[in-house]
Amino acid sequence: MAQPDRLERVTDLLLVLLDASRPLSLREIADRVPGYPSGHDARRQAFERDKRLLRDEGVPVLAEAIDGEEQVGYRVDPDAYYLPDLGLEPDEQAALNLAVAGVHLGEPIGREALSKLGMGGSWPRRTAPSPLVDLPLVDGLPALPLLFDAARTGAVVNFGYRGEPRAVDVGGIRFRGGHWYVVGRDRAKGEARTFRVDRIEGLPEVGEAGSAELPDGFDADDEFGRDPWHFGPGESVEVDVAVDAAEAGRVVTELGPDSVVERTDDGGVVVRLEVSDVEALVSWALDLLDHAEVLRPADVRAAVVARLEAFAGAVR
Amino acid sequence: MSPATDTATRLRRLLAILTWLAQEGEAPIEEVASRFDLTPTALVAELEMAACCGVPPYTPDQLLEIVVTEDTVSTRVGTVLARPRRLSPSEGLALAAAARAVLAVPGSDEDGALSRALAKLDRALGQPGIEVELDSPDQLDTVRAALDEHQRLAISYYSASTDQTTDRTITPRRLFASEGHWYVDAWCEMADSVRRFRVDRIATAVPAGPAAEEVLAVALPPVASGGTAPSGALGAFVPGPDSRRVRIAADPAKAWLFEAVPSVVEGDEDGRRVWEVFVGGDAWLERLLLRLGPDARVIEPSEDRDLAPEAARRILARYGPSEG
Repeated sequence: MAQPDRLERVTDLLLVLLDASRPLSLREIADRVPGYPSGHDARRQAFERDKRLLRDEGVPVLAEAIDGEEQVGYRVDPDAYYLPDLGLEPDEQAALNLAVAGVHLGEPIGREALSKLGMGGSWPRRTAPSPLVDLPLVDGLPALPLLFDAARTGAVVNFGYRGEPRAVDVGGIRFRGGHWYVVGRDRAKGEARTFRVDRIEGLPEVGEAGSAELPDGFDADDEFGRDPWHFGPGESVEVDVAVDAAEAGRVVTELGPDSVVERTDDGGVVVRLEVSDVEALVSWALDLLDHAEVLRPADVRAAVVARLEAFAGAVR
Repeated sequence: MSPATDTATRLRRLLAILTWLAQEGEAPIEEVASRFDLTPTALVAELEMAACCGVPPYTPDQLLEIVVTEDTVSTRVGTVLARPRRLSPSEGLALAAAARAVLAVPGSDEDGALSRALAKLDRALGQPGIEVELDSPDQLDTVRAALDEHQRLAISYYSASTDQTTDRTITPRRLFASEGHWYVDAWCEMADSVRRFRVDRIATAVPAGPAAEEVLAVALPPVASGGTAPSGALGAFVPGPDSRRVRIAADPAKAWLFEAVPSVVEGDEDGRRVWEVFVGGDAWLERLLLRLGPDARVIEPSEDRDLAPEAARRILARYGPSEG
């Protein structure tokens, strides 16, 4: 073989860095890892390429100050590289594999994760998992892994939302109604807020671990502003909406059975909503066409009628 | 493939093989090769290369312990490079979310192997504070049972795109959750072809006897619908006979209403943005226009321009005569 195999050099490098009890200078590394060029510049260049490859593969290569002429030394902290043994039983491994196969989350991230845990390669095929779940994750949602890290480490995050910079103590991350949300305390507003992750502007900046300051007993589910008509700044009012049989099933699925205050003989329902954003409620009610009617209070009902009259008057 | 990509891919694969093999102890070369999509020769070459790697002075206990025999390969638990590695935030999220999504499917086994696996993951990775919720429409269990047992179902179905309720007999073939809703792909005897139904719009469903063999063999359309659906989604929108393209001009501030519908931005004209929207039916377009508000305008086709005012008058009729 004319050229030494670069994979061999990289594998040796990883072993040497993992084995190092103190940061090693490049000269010390080249003494231990065969295959680096002898010239100073060429050696540095080759090492930098290998180091970048390892870091791109998620290997935490540390660069630390050392005494001596080279000033910088390198090592890999085994505690930061290895995961404590999970102790997964065979049936638990199979269940995780099936979960990754049945959830459409932007391959191949789930498979890469399984490989690192020793469940790599093609899992023996069973029947196609059913049902399938489509979970938008890394595709188009670059903010999500960062928020996940913030939630896990208890860090404050900074991001832009509706044109405003926000500093948020993350209380939880929820997937509901087909969207990811982050629930937390908005520091500037001094109260709980819910943000849709796909509307976050740019990448969030994650603060230091433990920097989040959540009030005692903060409950992400209690604070979740689930429906668009909850997001308004005003006081909330109770609004009753009659929905006929054609749309009753979908509405009850969306709002939950607790929202139903009355069921009619023809299969329709009356649902009660807590509304702080009347505009959003009107939009929601119009989406039901003539299968829904806002019953009370009178001013919300009047808002619907006014909106409809604006349309009806547009063409004479 | 550049040499750098190649080395990275090979390193990733080598580590995946070693980590898996450490749990097995010893495995036939054929099995490992097919599992990791290599020829047996390539697998042996890769492992023999790795077996030569190590840290000077190359005492036996420091070497990567990899043994290649004629038929098998082996390593042992605890071998350097063969231990489970920490996950990146994206990878940790992927596993935590995938497991939670499957557990959120109504009727899943909450005390089963997946729950136990998830508890162990959470212990190792830290509590992620994530919860996944999926809808639980009334007829989901019935549809799922019919799918598993190859039964036909007589359903009453409200179609949002045509605003009509119809009675049909269907044979469920595939069930999936996308964009917050459950869908079933099924053979529809009324349409004499495969149709996609939203489960929360099935008002009633009654078993109607065993499915026909030939219907169970019909090929299903891809779950994603070829570029007309929003990116990343399995694609709940399937173009039907009434589907058409409509150009709409609206205030750019209303852009968010277009996020969830299959559409493309055509450009800006006089401070308004123009979208081309893939419309499933009249009622579907009425909904979109009513939510956009009276200022939005259908550019073409011209016969769709009266849809919103007519829908508004129809709804107003339900509210009764206005007060003066």
